Amino acid sequence: MNIDQLKEISKQSYDASLQKANALKKAESDQILVYNNRIFCADAETICFVRTVSEGRSSFFMLDRNSNPVEITDPTEFLDLLLQRNQSALNTYHQLYQNIKNRKV
Amino acid sequence: MTKGVLLYCFDTPEVSYSTITDRCISLIQRNLNLPVTVITDADTKGRIKSNCATRVIDVEKSNTKLTKPWYNLERHLAFDHSPYDRTAVMDVDYFCYSDKILRLLQSDNDFLVHKSAHEVLNMKEMRYDREAMLDLVWATVLIFDKTPRTRAIFDTVKLVKENYAHYCNLYRITYKNFRNDYAFAIALNQINGHREYDVIPDSIATVRADAEIIELKHNGAVIKYKDKIISLQDQDLHFLNKDIANV
Repeated sequence: MNIDQLKEISKQSYDASLQKANALKKAESDQILVYNNRIFCADAETICFVRTVSEGRSSFFMLDRNSNPVEITDPTEFLDLLLQRNQSALNTYHQLYQNIKNRKV
Repeated sequence: MTKGVLLYCFDTPEVSYSTITDRCISLIQRNLNLPVTVITDADTKGRIKSNCATRVIDVEKSNTKLTKPWYNLERHLAFDHSPYDRTAVMDVDYFCYSDKILRLLQSDNDFLVHKSAHEVLNMKEMRYDREAMLDLVWATVLIFDKTPRTRAIFDTVKLVKENYAHYCNLYRITYKNFRNDYAFAIALNQINGHREYDVIPDSIATVRADAEIIELKHNGAVIKYKDKIISLQDQDLHFLNKDIANV
């Protein structure tokens, strides 16, 4: 390959990386969930925490995104909502990622 | 409890903010389905075509940005201007391509603001920590209830505005023209006892002022900068390039 071809590949990779980073930022915004009037992020860490701490408990306490304490009185409902929002956001991210990858190829 | 969006729109000789406001309102109606009230001046009012409530005020026209008129001195009056119990105040160049603001309005935080923003064309965080002794907030979007505490925040912004040179010295702010981002940052810092306060957890996706807006669609925008073209959809965007009025 000549230098122009190499530069074009580099440019395409940069563009793909930029699109991916924007898509990821969008996914982060899409994961914002308000529950019991408090702001949460439906990310993997929150889901894992809720799943773990809710085992054998009918209610529990956790921190929202601004470190305010919240009592969760219906863990099943909360976990369902977290999973729905997480999967909706990541499904969109997955679609965008596939588009970026296909364009790159 | 009533909820709605409050916008400030004053056309300048250079920028048709009323055109931008119409685009902004159509997205609010599509994605947030909330009532909108526009605070405007007598000249601009007739140019706003959207179906929304308007309130005409005498606008203070003394501020500038890069030597051009910049009518941004009314934001501290949002508490009094808003007819809603819970209000989202937005810049008219903040386009709601998602329902994020609607979700945030469901929270019971009495005052919310973004603390971070990034440029979509290089993904760098927009940081100003070397230009002041306190963290900047982005007054692009404010969400507030009408409570004594939020009244105190807006009253402090008014105080900061009236004594802006003093506060610039106090916080070593290098940007000397009045800027709502700093005024609200100072007010929040003071009213919260110089401690942390609740913020909107994500970052504002910002389109830089020298980017070219190729296309504005109902669900996003196509943006060009130098030889880069990107398409963004279903995510809120803050356009610093006021040419969006002409796209």
